[in-house]
Amino acid sequence: MIGRIALRCSAFLVLLAGWEAANRLGLIRPFLLPPLTAVAARLVADVASGAFFLNAAVTLYRTLAGFALACVIGIPLGILISRRKLVGWFVEPIVSVGFPMPAIAFLPIFMLWFGVFDLSKIVMTGFSAVFTVIAAADAGTRGVERQLTWSAQSLGATRAELFRDVMLPAAMPQILTGLQVALPLALIVEVASEMLMGGTGLGGMMVNAENYADSVGVYAGIVEIALVGGIAVALMARLRRHLLRWHPEAAG
Amino acid sequence: MTDPSVPTGIVITGLSHDYTPRAGTRVRALEDVSLTVATGSFHALLGPSGCGKSTLLYCIGGFLPVQTGSIRTDRGLVTDPGPDRGVVFQNFALFPWKTVLQNILYGIGKRGIRGAEARDRAQHFIDLVHLTGFEASFPGQLSGGMQQRAALARTLAAEPDILLMDEPFGALDAQTRRIMQEELLGIWRQTRQTVVFVTHDVAEAVYLSDAISVMSARPGRIRRTLSAGFNRAADPAVFKRPDFTEQVELIWQMVRAEVDDARRPAPA
Ligand SMILES: Nc1ncnc2c1ncn2[C@@H]1O[C@H](COP(=O)(O)OP(=O)(O)O)[C@@H](O)[C@H]1O
Ligand SMILES: [Mg+2]
Repeated sequence: MIGRIALRCSAFLVLLAGWEAANRLGLIRPFLLPPLTAVAARLVADVASGAFFLNAAVTLYRTLAGFALACVIGIPLGILISRRKLVGWFVEPIVSVGFPMPAIAFLPIFMLWFGVFDLSKIVMTGFSAVFTVIAAADAGTRGVERQLTWSAQSLGATRAELFRDVMLPAAMPQILTGLQVALPLALIVEVASEMLMGGTGLGGMMVNAENYADSVGVYAGIVEIALVGGIAVALMARLRRHLLRWHPEAAG
Repeated sequence: MTDPSVPTGIVITGLSHDYTPRAGTRVRALEDVSLTVATGSFHALLGPSGCGKSTLLYCIGGFLPVQTGSIRTDRGLVTDPGPDRGVVFQNFALFPWKTVLQNILYGIGKRGIRGAEARDRAQHFIDLVHLTGFEASFPGQLSGGMQQRAALARTLAAEPDILLMDEPFGALDAQTRRIMQEELLGIWRQTRQTVVFVTHDVAEAVYLSDAISVMSARPGRIRRTLSAGFNRAADPAVFKRPDFTEQVELIWQMVRAEVDDARRPAPA
């Protein structure tokens, strides 16, 4: 385990070493690529002043709120698509058009509807993630063995209870795969919205630094976003392992 | 809801069933099946593969709609699945995300029994199928035989009036199958539920059943219903008895005739 982590980190170490070397050897102008040490110093300063935690908290709050919205709407809808004809008839074409659409293009509309503060960004983030969630829940439900639902019914489950008792857990591996794709997507769109709209958050801070021609701040922002994204993805993988303890994949 | 199960008979009259696949032509799986399963009896359905045994069982279970004819139990006409008819499938169909204990608690909970009483009941059935010690295992961690024991316990714990079993031991190796047959008989002698047991194994049918219905090749009809009755005496050596092997041979000839019939090219 520790060996694997070390192996992964070593790739970054090589990258960082190359970065620092490029600066020391004068291969690149410091404005285009500031020295690693300067960026590291800024990171430490951001952490010490609390600015990092503040911005990360704002970005994470909107990302997770939007992501939760996408789950609450997307999972039931995805399950219902293959189980209720009317829902399938209505939602399926919309999903197939919406899925490949660049969600961020809707940002002006959401700003118009929901203002320039948190709500528009949360809706934007949720919108960008919801199609992936719907598609995953739909695909997961389609593969459910009919004997499983029959077993539940002959043990006394009503048709409504089947969704919670059978469909949802049976589709869970695929739903989680969808969520693992949707979460970074939500984070990307959140940061992009912040960069377009300005204000607080990691993306807002970066675009602020850019406006002041503070290239060290821009690079520090990238590292901070990568850090937050990496932690979020790792926690999601952990949640998957916990929820799928029963699944054969857990044995490997 | 919590009354103990009352064995009930099944009367099937003029049941036909067609499958209409989305792509392809309609398949007639059952044709004019009429069958009476006596209350408290162990009734086997025997027939060549593809003759509609599962279809008939699924109709009794209420999983497939009754298209033509009727199915009636002492509780009335069968229209939907219900906890009065428990099922054991060939592929076990346990909930893989639940432990053995949780699987067995599922049907108990649906009957409104909770807490310590539910737990005691579940433990009773776990012990009955010899799965003591595996309560916390997930189905994926168990062998096929153990999974089928868990599935049997889950169905029995819901205390259905009727037990529907679709080749429950078909996926097991020969030794495990033999042991499971013996244990099923032992349990059935205690519960005396009405059992409909689908199999294509003639010896299994003769060993377990009060009555055996032999079905024709597709479209499935009931060719003949015979009585067996080797199941009443708890005699593990019954497999070697000459009257037993004679009965197996007799029924085997009938099943084979059905297979041969199906192979013969249709008259032009
Ligand atoms: N869902 C289905 N769609 C179309 N045909 C089916 C379907 N299920 C079963 N059949 C056909 O109906 C016939 C009876 O099937 P089944 O009841 O499974 O037979 P058995 O259990 O005796 O092997 C078979 O010929 C099978 O191909
Ligand atoms: Mg079958």
